[in-house]
Amino acid sequence: MVELMLPKADRPTQGKSWPKPAGAKRLREYHIYRYDPDQSANPRIDTYFVNLDDCGPMILDGLLWIKNNIDPTLTLRRSCREGICGSCSMNINGLNTLACTKGMDDSTGPIKIYPLPHMPVVKDLVPDLSTFYAQHRAIEPWLKTTSPTPAKEWTQTVPQRAKLDGLYECILCACCSTSCPSYWWNGDKYLGPAALLQAYRWLIDSRDETTNERLDDLEDPFKLYRCHTIMNCAKVCPKGLNPAKAIAEIKKMMVERKVA
Amino acid sequence: MTANRTPDAVVANPKTKYGNAKASTRHFITQRVTGAINIVFIGFLAYLVIRLGGQDRPDMVATIGNGWIGLPLAVLLVIVAIHMRNGMRDTLEDYFHGATYRLLMGLNTVFCILIAVAGVAAILKLVFWG
Repeated sequence: MVELMLPKADRPTQGKSWPKPAGAKRLREYHIYRYDPDQSANPRIDTYFVNLDDCGPMILDGLLWIKNNIDPTLTLRRSCREGICGSCSMNINGLNTLACTKGMDDSTGPIKIYPLPHMPVVKDLVPDLSTFYAQHRAIEPWLKTTSPTPAKEWTQTVPQRAKLDGLYECILCACCSTSCPSYWWNGDKYLGPAALLQAYRWLIDSRDETTNERLDDLEDPFKLYRCHTIMNCAKVCPKGLNPAKAIAEIKKMMVERKVA
Repeated sequence: MTANRTPDAVVANPKTKYGNAKASTRHFITQRVTGAINIVFIGFLAYLVIRLGGQDRPDMVATIGNGWIGLPLAVLLVIVAIHMRNGMRDTLEDYFHGATYRLLMGLNTVFCILIAVAGVAAILKLVFWG
């Protein structure tokens, strides 16, 4: 259901401004969303200053520098630090992206960091992605066949394999889904760009033999047709993928099936 | 925002449906087809509006009363009403659920039928009775 205003208890307030590191010459200001479910207080925006002479160039480097040197309670997900795992997805200066691949020099002024939009927050920059993962489960992201399993492997030609390019690279960071207004308003029913991109990845896999069943499962006014081609998903995808195009292709398959 | 959310176990089930599954693709096709027809007809409509600009009632009656103009206009009106209902359905589905959605969708349907019936009746009157 659409919610245009946050409930009062969820509105961020001005938080603590942490002291500048002593002796630092080059500083970068970070405004970071903080929320602790164990405290009854509203979320707050804390201000930190990162010593650029002692820190790597990426936003994630700055966050880890803060965690290591100023405030160890700052909570965030991170793992690979090179855009592969999708753990450090967050809203940076108004755009969902990966903190590990976004440079501090990509913007000027204070760096504003929030968790991924419109998701329940577990703590600080950690959103609850359980519904997002349930949606991924719903599209059954694995090969489904009815023919007898071949002795060696399910083979594909080079052109058949090429159809999966631009789809298989998704790292499930949730940047696309959480940037989509349709997903904000109907995030529990609309599968969202990430899950639908994966759905299409299996729909056009030449080895999969359950295309009709997969399309049957997607045929629903909410699961698929909430996409209004807003294109935020394609704009923010840190891997440069185009979930909106994949969704359009699924709709095309639906129409072709209907009129055939 | 989590209070009324569908449980994750339900979401994860591929067979879960949240609406009239059989109608969803039909609505999509109807929306696109009527939209495409509207684009084609927009030239005709623009011509008609320009043609009628500054004219008095007898000229207007004579123009729309011409079957070659009035009947396509009546068809266009019906197509626009169908497109309008479908477009509003999409918006209502986005923002309202449950009883509120059903009420608003009912009003939407009534409104679109009224527009179509009143418009077509008016045009047919001009075509057949002047």
